[in-house]
Amino acid sequence: MLRITLKGVRGHLLRFVLTAVAVSLGVSLVAGTYVLTDSIKATFDGIVDSGVKGVDASVRAVKVEDDVPRENLPLSLEKDLRGIEEVGQVYPGYQGSAVLVDREGTAVRNSMAPTIGLAYWPDDIALTMVRGRGPQGPGEIVVEKSTLKRSGLAVGDTAQVLVQGEPRKAKIVGEMDFDAALAGATLVLFDGPTAQKAFSPDGTVQGFSLRGKAGTSPEQLRDRVAQVLPAEAEVLTSAQLQQEAEEDMDSKLGYVSTFLLVFAAIGLFVGSFLIANTFSMLVARRVRELALLRAVGASRGQVLRVVLGEALVIGAVGAGLGVLVGLGIASGALAFLADQSGSPVGTGTPLQGRTVAISLLVGIVVTMMSALVPALRASRISPVDALRDDIVMTPKGARIRGTIGIVLSVLGSAALAGEVTASSPAWSLIGVYALAVVSGSLLAAPLSARPVIHVVCWPFVVFSGVVGRLARQNALRNPRRTASTASALMIGLALIAGVGVIAESMKASVADIVEDELTSDFVLSAGNEPIAPSVASRAEKLDGVGSVVAMGQVPLAFQGEWATGLTGDSRALGESIRLPMVSGELSALERGQVLVPEEMAKAHSWTVGSTFEAAVGSSRGHRLTVGGVFEDSQVLGQSLLVPRPLYEKGVPLGEQGDFYIFVKASAGADLEKVRSELKGLVKQYIVVSVQDSQEYTQSMADDVDQLLLTLYALLFLSVVIAVLGIFNTLALSVFERTREIGLLRAVGLGRWQLSRVVTIEAVATAVFGAVLGSLVGLGLGIAVQQALVSEGLDILSIPWMTIGVLVGFSGVVGVLAAVFPTVRAVRLDVLKAISTE
Amino acid sequence: MSGSSGSSGAEAVASAVGLSKVYGSGPAAVTALDSVSVDFERGRLTAIMGPSGSGKSTLMHCMAALDRPTSGQVIIDGQSIAQLKDRALTRLRRERLGFVFQAFNLVPTLSARENITLPLDIAGAKVDPEWFDLVIETLGMADRLSHRPSELSGGQQQRVACARALVSRPAIVFADEPTGNLDSRSSAEILGFLRRSVDDFGQSIVMVTHDPGSAAFADRVLFLADGRIVDEMVDPSAEKVLERMKGFEMAGRRG
Repeated sequence: MLRITLKGVRGHLLRFVLTAVAVSLGVSLVAGTYVLTDSIKATFDGIVDSGVKGVDASVRAVKVEDDVPRENLPLSLEKDLRGIEEVGQVYPGYQGSAVLVDREGTAVRNSMAPTIGLAYWPDDIALTMVRGRGPQGPGEIVVEKSTLKRSGLAVGDTAQVLVQGEPRKAKIVGEMDFDAALAGATLVLFDGPTAQKAFSPDGTVQGFSLRGKAGTSPEQLRDRVAQVLPAEAEVLTSAQLQQEAEEDMDSKLGYVSTFLLVFAAIGLFVGSFLIANTFSMLVARRVRELALLRAVGASRGQVLRVVLGEALVIGAVGAGLGVLVGLGIASGALAFLADQSGSPVGTGTPLQGRTVAISLLVGIVVTMMSALVPALRASRISPVDALRDDIVMTPKGARIRGTIGIVLSVLGSAALAGEVTASSPAWSLIGVYALAVVSGSLLAAPLSARPVIHVVCWPFVVFSGVVGRLARQNALRNPRRTASTASALMIGLALIAGVGVIAESMKASVADIVEDELTSDFVLSAGNEPIAPSVASRAEKLDGVGSVVAMGQVPLAFQGEWATGLTGDSRALGESIRLPMVSGELSALERGQVLVPEEMAKAHSWTVGSTFEAAVGSSRGHRLTVGGVFEDSQVLGQSLLVPRPLYEKGVPLGEQGDFYIFVKASAGADLEKVRSELKGLVKQYIVVSVQDSQEYTQSMADDVDQLLLTLYALLFLSVVIAVLGIFNTLALSVFERTREIGLLRAVGLGRWQLSRVVTIEAVATAVFGAVLGSLVGLGLGIAVQQALVSEGLDILSIPWMTIGVLVGFSGVVGVLAAVFPTVRAVRLDVLKAISTE
Repeated sequence: MSGSSGSSGAEAVASAVGLSKVYGSGPAAVTALDSVSVDFERGRLTAIMGPSGSGKSTLMHCMAALDRPTSGQVIIDGQSIAQLKDRALTRLRRERLGFVFQAFNLVPTLSARENITLPLDIAGAKVDPEWFDLVIETLGMADRLSHRPSELSGGQQQRVACARALVSRPAIVFADEPTGNLDSRSSAEILGFLRRSVDDFGQSIVMVTHDPGSAAFADRVLFLADGRIVDEMVDPSAEKVLERMKGFEMAGRRG
C-alpha cells in the first residue's frame, strides 16, 4: 500500500505541493518563534553569566509581597559584611540610569533596552579594560565598547551624560569590554563616590555583591553571611541568582512566544481548511480508483491508510520546509531587532532538536487531522462504485449543520451582547461566546454561500450576462467547498477587521479623553523613563508658565490588591486635569490624605475619612486616610492620588523622577513663546519632549498604529494561506470541469469569456469570505470595545476605510488566485477536453 | 473510390476539399483522413458510417472546426475556415454551427432552458420566442424547462441538446453518435426529431453513427474506411446499410 500512497502523491503533485506550502507557512511561524526566543534567551543568559563573573554571592532585601518591589538596604550594612572573616570583597550595588549623548546631541539608546549607569570597581572581572584607565572623580567616565561605538565618540572626548535624567559633562577616560552582547543596552561607569552620590543619594542601595576569600565556596560564604544579616535581607549564591534571572527571562520570553504562537495557530487553522478541501476534492476525483482498490480486495482500513499516508507525507514535507522558512523568519526578525537596537541581538539562529520535533509534530498532526474526514469518506466508498458511471458524493447534513451554525452564532451574539454591556464583563465568558460566534459562522458559511454569492455576483450577472451566471453557478455548485475556501480568508479578515475596530476606537477614545479632561497646554514626557526632578522645578520659573504638575508614580499595595499612586501638587493638578470631586476636596492632598477614584471607593466602601493599610512602593505599613473621592477619570484611570511626602517615602531618592509633567500657561501668555521656552529648557535633558495636547494625542495614536501594523503583519500570513486555498480550489475545479469547459468552448464560449467565468468565480469566493469575515470582525471588535467602555475605550470608531480596502483587496486577491487556473482553462484543447473521461 | 462524392444537384452547405489529417510524425504517423473531398447538402440529413478507426469522427471534428486538418480545405456556408484564428472559429461555432455530442452535452449547473439558450446567451443575441416555443413543442420538453440536467433522463438530456443545437438556427448541425448512449425507444425519438427538423424546418444535419438503424433515418449515407470515403448510398434502409457494411467487412478481411 505504501507504493500506492506515494504514487497518489506523485499523481497530483501540484495539489500536494500547494498543500505542503500551506502547512509550511503555518509551521514556519512555530519554528521561527522557537528559534527566535532560543536565540534571545541565549543572549540574555550570556549577559547574566557575564554579569555575575567574579561574584560569589549577593545580598538583597527579602520580597515581602508579590506586587511590592523589594526595599533598598542601608549602605551601613557594608561595614557588617566586611566584618565577616570569609568575605573578601564587597561591592555596593550603585546602579541607575545613565544615558550617553553623542556629538549630534542625540541620546544613545533605544526604547527596548535599559541605559545602565554603574560604579567602576578596579578588580571587577566582568568587565575588562580595553583602552584608557578607570574614572577618577565626577568629571570622568568609562564607557562600554558597543555603547561607545554607537555614540561615535572616542576615549579622550568630553561628552554629555544624563545621570538619572540630569545632564552633566564628563570626559571619557576609558573603554571597557563586557563579555556578552548587550542586546541594545548601554553601559556607562563612574567611580565609586560619584556613583554613590548619583545612584544612592539617600544612603540605600538595592543590594551588595560579595566575593569570598580564597578557599571559601559560594555556599559556605552564603551560609556564613546569612548568620549576620538582619531579617529584612537575604543572601544568594551567584548560581542561585543566575537561575532566578534565567527563570525570569524564560517567563518573559514565554509571553512573547505565546503571543507569536497564537498567530502560528491561526495560520495553521486557516491552513487546515485548505488541506481538508484539497483532500476532499482529490478523494472525490478518485472515487473510481479507490473503489477499484476496494474491489480488488483492499480493506476499508487500507483505503483509510492510503489517504492518511498521503497526508503524513505532505505534513512531513511541509513541516520540514516550514522549519527552513522559520529559520529565515527568525534571522530576519533578529536582523530587524539588531537594526532597531543598534547592536547585534541573539546568537545566530540556534536550531534545537526540540524545535524540529515540535514543528514536525505540529505539521504532521494538523495535516492528518485535516485529512481525516475526507479519508473516512474515502474509506466508505464501496467496491460497486467502481462500476457506476456517475458517482456524486453528496455531503449529507449540510442543512442541519448550517442551522446549528446559525443558531450557535445567533445565541453567541446575543450572549456576547449581554455580557459586554454588563457592569463588569467576564473575559472568559466573552472568549467563549466569541468562539461560539466564530465557529457558528464557520458552520453556517455553506448555507450563507447562496444568498451572499448571489449578491456578490449580481453586478457581474447584470453586466456580463451568461458569463456572470456561469460563474455564479460554479461558485454555488458545491457551497460547502466554496464556503470552506472562503472561510480561510474569513478568519484572517475577521481578525484584521476586529483588531482594526479596537485600534480605531482606542485612538478616538484617547483623542476624546485628552480633549475632554486634559486642560493643560503642554505635556512633557521622556518615553518610559522618569524625567529628572529638576525639569519641573525649572519649568515653574519660566515666563508665562502658570502652573506645573510633576506626576510621580509609585505602586501601592493594599488588601491584596495593587494600584498605581500618582502624586502632584493639588492646585496645579486642578488646573491641568478636569477633576470633579464626588466628595471631599482636592486640597486634602496637602493634608497628607489620599484621593481615590469613585469606582474604587465604591468597591471598597470608602468614604471621606475611611482609613486603610497600604504598602507604598517599597515602604510598608502606612495607614492612609481617604481625603476625597473624584469622578472616574480616563487620564488618571484607576489610580490613587497620593501626597508628595508619601511618594518620597515609597520611592528611593535615586529612583525618583516624574513620568509626566503637565504645564499650564498663565492666562494671556503667548503659547508659542511658552513652547519655545520649554523646548529650550528640555534641550539639555535630551530625552524629554514637549508636546501640546494635539501632538500628545498624535503620539499615542502613533503607538497604536505601530502595534496595529505588527498585528497586521502577523495576520497577513493567514491571508497568504487563504489565497493559496482559493488558488488550489479553483485549479482543481477547472481540472474537474475539463469536459464541461470543452463543451462550453464547442458551443461558442470565447477564451476571454471563459477566463472571465473563472475569474469571477474566484472573486466571488474571495469577496464572500471577506464580507463574512468583516461582519464577524466588526461584531467581535465592537463587542470588545463595549466590554472596555469602563476602562476608557468609550468611543466606538469603525475603520470603514480599512474594511472597504479589505473587501476590495480580497477582490484583487481573487483575480490573482485565478490567474493560473484561468490560463490552464483557456489553454485546454477543445476537442481533447470534450473527449476527456 | 477516393475523391469527390457527387450529389443530386442540391446546394452544398459544407464541403471538404482534399481534407487530410495525420496524427504524429515520422514512422509513427497515423493517417486518419486521406484527402477526403465531399459536399454536404443544405436541408438534408447526411449520415457518416464506418467501423471504429475509419476516420468518421475525425472527419466530423474537422468539418465542425473542432480540429484542424493537416491539409485541405473546409468550407462552411461559403466560408473557408482554414485561415481562421481561435476567436473567429469560436464565433463560427457559436453562430453558424450546432452540436449534439454522444454524452455530457449539458452544463450541469444550468437549467434545461438556460442550456438551450446558452449559445445565444454567449453571443449576447436575443432568443426568438416563437422559434424557441416551436422547437420546444416539437421536442415535447415544455414542462421540463426549469429542470437541471441531473433531474432529466438520458433521452430527455439528448432532446435538450438537440433543442440547443437548433435554437440559434445554425447553418449546419453536427451530431456525434447522438443516440450512442440511449435505449432503442429514446433513440428512435431523437432520430425522429432530427428527421423532422430537416423535413419541417429545412435544417442541415451531419450525423456520425455506427448503427445501420440510425443511418436509415438519413437522406444519404457516406461510408468511410481507412480515412477514405469508400461508398455512399441515397435513401438508405437499415437492411441495405447492413448489407453494405457486411460487404466492407468481408472485403476488409480479404484484403
